[in-house]
Amino acid sequence: MTAFLLRRSLAALVMLLVVGTIIFSLLIIVPGDPAELLLTTGGGTTTPEAVAALRETMGLDQPVLIQYLQFLGDTLRLNFGTSIIDGTEISQAIGLRLPRTLELIAAAAILALAIGIPSGTYAALRAGSAFDVITSGIMALLTSVPVFVVGTLFIYVFAQILKILPAGGYTALSDDPAAHFRALILPAVSVSLNLMAIVFRMTRASVLEMRSHDWVRTATAKGLRRKLVIRRHILRNAMGPVITVVGLQLGILLGSTVLVEFVYNWPGLSGLLVTAVEQRDYPTVRAIILTVAAIFIVINLAIDILYSVLDPRIRLK
Amino acid sequence: MNMSLPIPKRMVFPSILLILLIVTPFAAPLITGDDPTAMAIPQRFAAPSFEHWLGQDEFGRDRLARILYGGQVSLTVAFVATTIAAVVGTLFGLIGAYFRGPFEFFTTRLADVVVCFPPILLALLVVTLFGPGAVTLIAVLSVLYFPAFARIAFAEALRVSALDFVEASRALGTPSRRIVLRTVLPNIAGPLSIQYSLTAAAAITIESGLSFLGLGVVPPAPSWGQMIRGARAFMNQEPLGILIPCIALTLTIYIINFFCDRLRDALDPKGAQGAKDAISQPVTTSQKAPDLPSDAVASVRDLRLVTGPASQSVDLIADVSLTLRANECTALVGESGSGKSLTSLALMGLLPDVIRQENGQLLLRSKSDGVVDLGKTTAQGLEKLRGNDIAMIFQEPMTSLNPVHKIGFQMVEAILAHRPMPKDQARNEAIELLELVGINEAARRFDGYPHELSGGMRQRVMIAMALSCQPKLLIADEPTTALDVTIQAEVIELLQRLQREYADGLGLLFISHNLGIVSEIADRVVVMYSGKIVEEGPTDVVLNAPKHPYTRALMGSMPAAHTDLHSSRNDRLAAISGTPPLPMARPSGCAFRDRCPMAIAACAEHIPSLDNVSDVHSVRCIRADEVVTA
Repeated sequence: MTAFLLRRSLAALVMLLVVGTIIFSLLIIVPGDPAELLLTTGGGTTTPEAVAALRETMGLDQPVLIQYLQFLGDTLRLNFGTSIIDGTEISQAIGLRLPRTLELIAAAAILALAIGIPSGTYAALRAGSAFDVITSGIMALLTSVPVFVVGTLFIYVFAQILKILPAGGYTALSDDPAAHFRALILPAVSVSLNLMAIVFRMTRASVLEMRSHDWVRTATAKGLRRKLVIRRHILRNAMGPVITVVGLQLGILLGSTVLVEFVYNWPGLSGLLVTAVEQRDYPTVRAIILTVAAIFIVINLAIDILYSVLDPRIRLK
Repeated sequence: MNMSLPIPKRMVFPSILLILLIVTPFAAPLITGDDPTAMAIPQRFAAPSFEHWLGQDEFGRDRLARILYGGQVSLTVAFVATTIAAVVGTLFGLIGAYFRGPFEFFTTRLADVVVCFPPILLALLVVTLFGPGAVTLIAVLSVLYFPAFARIAFAEALRVSALDFVEASRALGTPSRRIVLRTVLPNIAGPLSIQYSLTAAAAITIESGLSFLGLGVVPPAPSWGQMIRGARAFMNQEPLGILIPCIALTLTIYIINFFCDRLRDALDPKGAQGAKDAISQPVTTSQKAPDLPSDAVASVRDLRLVTGPASQSVDLIADVSLTLRANECTALVGESGSGKSLTSLALMGLLPDVIRQENGQLLLRSKSDGVVDLGKTTAQGLEKLRGNDIAMIFQEPMTSLNPVHKIGFQMVEAILAHRPMPKDQARNEAIELLELVGINEAARRFDGYPHELSGGMRQRVMIAMALSCQPKLLIADEPTTALDVTIQAEVIELLQRLQREYADGLGLLFISHNLGIVSEIADRVVVMYSGKIVEEGPTDVVLNAPKHPYTRALMGSMPAAHTDLHSSRNDRLAAISGTPPLPMARPSGCAFRDRCPMAIAACAEHIPSLDNVSDVHSVRCIRADEVVTA
């Protein structure tokens, strides 16, 4: 088990390095001078002085190897530099906004699992029933609705017509807990729907596959109560594939928050990102994407470990 | 492989929808004469009219035209990017599969790296550098999606190149390039086309998302994401403005996903049918009071099992009657499909949902309640009987234990299901049982997982588990078939020893097609053919002087030293030609007649009855008297 943990952690570290290197090299492989590019995209004009100043702030005047080592060192110390637009500390801005995005993701993931797993299990155990057909249909639709469409329609229905939930905004938990959670509902549900549909599909498929395994028959032949057979010998085995898929889908989930935070004006990481992209604030964009990729890698490491606890055969591979 | 392959019925409707979806936007000039960018401020938010079927937007532009032309942009970006990704990715995958080594590493790891970047974030990173626009989008999306194609192409190519016919054409000296183009590519087309439609749907989602953020397609070019963005500010005044592009976008993605689902089902029919394996309840049709001979532990009377719809149901087994006695081992013998396993599953109340019991009575002597009629027992009642009064071990020890639970857990579970006791006590009992069935270091194995044990050891665990509540009847369904010959002998000896020493009064129903093993262990033999009992009697009588031509053929198919356990594991009869008939295609009269060397015209007339040839021996054959042992 220890060897397995070490191996997986090492692989995650290597992956972090690769991801960092790729993000770093994007600036190098861009044709032309990245500083000039950043200042002129979107049809803007610039002066040689402005380009030179930006080259210096971003360290682009150094040799590539020095830049790379500098980049790695800074990243290790979580020092992402300053915004080229207003000179604020990027790490600070991320530190302020990241918890809000994580809260959104956590709420959405909990919601998706809490609804997706039981309904997927029930649908699989009653494959072909009215419940299965209807739920599968709804979930197929949910996979197809883009998250910003859901968000926009939700605002129209719940904020404009029914006027029962706020159309957006954010209240700190410490200021007003009730308002905080009211404002969380629509964004969290919007982010969760896609994932919920995926969890449902995966659970349904996985349970369908597991329930015809020989060991389920063995468990039934032992005289185990049906409820226990389902919980211990079908669901328990079916969860491995489900959490793996959830881990891989987290990337899409993290991406959904960009749109949802924009739709609901949720002041998370993604709001910062969209503004930074609009303003061509490359250091900020780069820092946010590194952060998100790192979160993704860490979560997937956690899922690998969880999977190995769920299924001891994994550790052998 | 064959280009004239007919399109499966279930694919017709989604294919038509998909073609309509793709063609409609590009037929825009035929549908509407309006320019999607022509503004008419005075008519802003005009309701749908004859000139403008979907009304006009916040700048008075024709909405229908904007939807159609916007669709062109979305679909072009999505399909061009996906096509590039598919072509490049497939090439990478094939190169990786062909050259292996560093190429393999590169191809498979690339997808791992790309998956770390949420697609929309990577797109934003690139947009920061190059600015928004359709070309940037296509470039980003192709880079994002090609590793997934590479991985699928790689994995599928490896799988296909190991297939027999590819090996064969390689052995025949076909050049590699031709193998790849003619053999491998067509065979991996299925998974790749599924990935293609998935990717196209994802690309549309990302394109519209970026346009919605104002970072995708640049205005004034119309795009659905942008239309939603624009209409958002006015949703109170003009809900149609957001509804129409929302519906267009969702419908598009839904149709592609729908097509993809059907395609997946068509390519892998196994996943499509929700394999029904719920358990069907035993029934009873006998009016007789439940009554068992005093020495019997279970009986089956006139059992008939059918499958298929009621109007054209097919008999799987019929007229099967058995009496299983304490301290006796009854062997149920026959080829695959003869109905021997179904008979035993019926006794366990474990028949799959698709098989119905039409007739018969199943009786069991319970430890607590006397004689129980399974047909009158509830699902909960059956749970109490299974494992407690009647237990079963199965053919495949490799898959019969749950791989994610410790052996001890699964043993304790079986004990606690019927005998509530402290966990420690259950643990001790389980370890004793493991020792009893001959597992070394039982205490250590208790905390081990099934995959750490050999097949023979696992079957011993299964036996220990089955005996954990001292059942009255143990059913062993081909318990040695999946094992090595030497291990087979050990397991048989174990069963015999347990029946003698441990479980006093245990009745054993032993299912096998291996007469060598049967002659070792069984007291009585029941031979089944095509769902019916054809011969029944004490082992020495039946095996030494078989009266049914089928039994004689079974004997003849055994290797010369038939008392030896070294008989074939092959479930086929070498001595008789042909195979048993399928239940829906049995010949008239005697089901065995078309394979029988002694068949005469009379055999086709009616199904022979099971007649006594002596007090203990009965046979279902009109020429039984003429059968002599070869």
